[in-house]
Amino acid sequence: MLKINTFAMIWLLVVLTGSLLMAQYSQTAGVAGTPPAQWPETSRVQRDPGLSKLVIFLHPRCPCSRATLGELERLMAHCQGMLSAQVWFIQPEGRDEVWVKTDLWPVAAAIPGVQVDVDHAGAEARLFQAATSGQTLLYDVNGRLVFQGGITLARGHAGDNPGSDAIECFLKQKTSLSASTPVFGCALGWNNKPEECTLCQP
Amino acid sequence: MSALAATILPEDHALQQATTLLRATVNEPRPQTSSLPDSALQRRAAVLFRAAENELHRHTDQLFARLMIVQWLAGIAAALLISPLTWIGDSSQVHVHVWAAVLLGGAISGFPVWMASHYPGLAVTRHVIATAQMLTAALLIHLTGGRIETHFHIFGSLAFLAFYRDWRVLATATVVVAGDHLIRGLFWPQSVFGVLTASSWRWMEHAGWVLFEDAILFVAIHRMLREMSEIALRRATLEGSNVEIERQVVERTAELNKTQTELLETSRLAGMAEVATSVLHNVGNVLNSVGVSAELATSKVREFRVGSLKNVAELLQQHSEDLPAFLSSDPRGKMLPDYLLKLAVHLAEPQQAILQEMEMLQKNIDHIKEIVAMQQRYARGTGVVEVLSVADLVEDSIRINAASFSRHEVNVVREIAPVPPLKTDRHKVMQILVNLLSNAKHALDHSEGDKRMTVRVTLNQKGRLEIAVIDNGTGIAAENLSRIFSHGFTTKKLGHGFGLHSGALAAKELGGTLQAHSDGVGLGATFTLTLPLEN
Repeated sequence: MLKINTFAMIWLLVVLTGSLLMAQYSQTAGVAGTPPAQWPETSRVQRDPGLSKLVIFLHPRCPCSRATLGELERLMAHCQGMLSAQVWFIQPEGRDEVWVKTDLWPVAAAIPGVQVDVDHAGAEARLFQAATSGQTLLYDVNGRLVFQGGITLARGHAGDNPGSDAIECFLKQKTSLSASTPVFGCALGWNNKPEECTLCQP
Repeated sequence: MSALAATILPEDHALQQATTLLRATVNEPRPQTSSLPDSALQRRAAVLFRAAENELHRHTDQLFARLMIVQWLAGIAAALLISPLTWIGDSSQVHVHVWAAVLLGGAISGFPVWMASHYPGLAVTRHVIATAQMLTAALLIHLTGGRIETHFHIFGSLAFLAFYRDWRVLATATVVVAGDHLIRGLFWPQSVFGVLTASSWRWMEHAGWVLFEDAILFVAIHRMLREMSEIALRRATLEGSNVEIERQVVERTAELNKTQTELLETSRLAGMAEVATSVLHNVGNVLNSVGVSAELATSKVREFRVGSLKNVAELLQQHSEDLPAFLSSDPRGKMLPDYLLKLAVHLAEPQQAILQEMEMLQKNIDHIKEIVAMQQRYARGTGVVEVLSVADLVEDSIRINAASFSRHEVNVVREIAPVPPLKTDRHKVMQILVNLLSNAKHALDHSEGDKRMTVRVTLNQKGRLEIAVIDNGTGIAAENLSRIFSHGFTTKKLGHGFGLHSGALAAKELGGTLQAHSDGVGLGATFTLTLPLEN
């Protein structure tokens, strides 16, 4: 019996350690990037007058992107008429648009107030210095960056999250302070520096 | 951890629990009376309770072992479906979730499956399973991206763990869930509660919902354990009753055996009495003939002219000195030779009759011997099978009753067809035929006119021998035909009701039948003995 209990204890330690590592991994954020404080006029997209602009960069095949789109859908519903959104799906060099237009594309396109487009070779991501899939930027009506970060709780983790809360608070004029949150997702890869892209890597 | 703490609880804990429940239960009216005293009953009920509980634990271990494997495979499938790859630009690798599903999921599930396989029923096994089940829930929640629906797995698992009917297993599972929330709440609060500034006690709210389900399940478990203890007590009571019933069965069986032995002895004595009655009946029939023969012999002896012979002897003695002269010159002497000759002739006739009667007497006495011997064999259940002439057999039977037939002026007609020899027990057949002939004679006793008895021997269509004794006597009433072979049934004033009964039994023993037919009172009767030619 003592032997069995010892085995059970060892097993417990092993699986608890594994579970903790798993939790640790899920809470490991990606590179946040350094987006411009003002709206870059060279962007292919123009802001809508009188509306805040939300820009989201997604890796078309990142498993975490689905959770981000889910949260975006909720956010757009809650803040209807207060903002417009642009979702950029990164198209790495050497990949065609078929590779980009996964099942996430129609999901994103179906969200009211959201424009979807392909970011060829990560030009827009480079412009906005977005390094991680799920990177979300909110520019106010004056083109000032008021939020940067992710709108998910953890890697691929749907549900209430501080990013969405911060954006919603700002839009509903509950606060005027800038905010940032961690971004959870795969590396967009436009900077071609894997060592900086710890997101989603084992 | 409470999981392991529970495993080192005293082994008798379950027994204490069972005993506590039983104490409450035994105060209730007992459903059945039992031969066991209350203390023994409770001990037995506790043993049965523990056995049932152990069986339940083992069975549930097996269920969880299968579930663990399914959950492991489901986790892998979920990982492959939801997050198969992780990307850096256009290059990809296998996602950590896949490895976690395979390796961590395998580690979480593998050990409980091994425990359920090698140590089913042990407390440590079910606590390991409870821990694994909750960790599996955490892994699945993680693999499915924190879907709220996957959180239902925790509540479903708690209900499933309640199958063990052991509140400590639920406690272990709850501690694992609460511990998981506590650690996450402390280190990564947003991962649990969705806000970065969650109270450090917020984990208690989540654990509270688990405790809410636990409370309901604890009540259910308590009731189920109570039912189990009641069932154990009823079963113990039933076992006690069965023991009592078995004891009574043994007792009654012994009594029955004794009664059966006594009955057999009584039957044997009754059988012997029947045999004795039958012997007396048959011997009585023959003795009638013996009496008639003795009477006839006596009357013939009386007819002997012994006086005349004495006179002749005295006359010869008087003339002994001049016997030649007396015989030649005396007129009386001259007549003496002729007289002696006539006397001799006169004596020879009754002598012959006496000799015949003596011969008949001897036969009758022999038959009595045979009857006695036959009945002794019958009593012993053995018989000698002989090859017999049916005609001789019939003739002997008639001869035994011949004097009686003669005295009652019964005309015996023989209709004997040529039949093959009969291979059977002579004396049993004789017993039957003598009885049938005697009965026929009795039936003719009070008849007027032609008293006719026919003995008919034939071979029926089935190749069986039929010996019919037919009389035109008093006949048999229809209501008596069905019971005429019953033991003790008779229509004679001095009858015993054994003759036809034993005759029917003897016929059956010989492989044949004895049947009666009568068209009614005053219309005579026919008794037919049917026998196989070879018995």
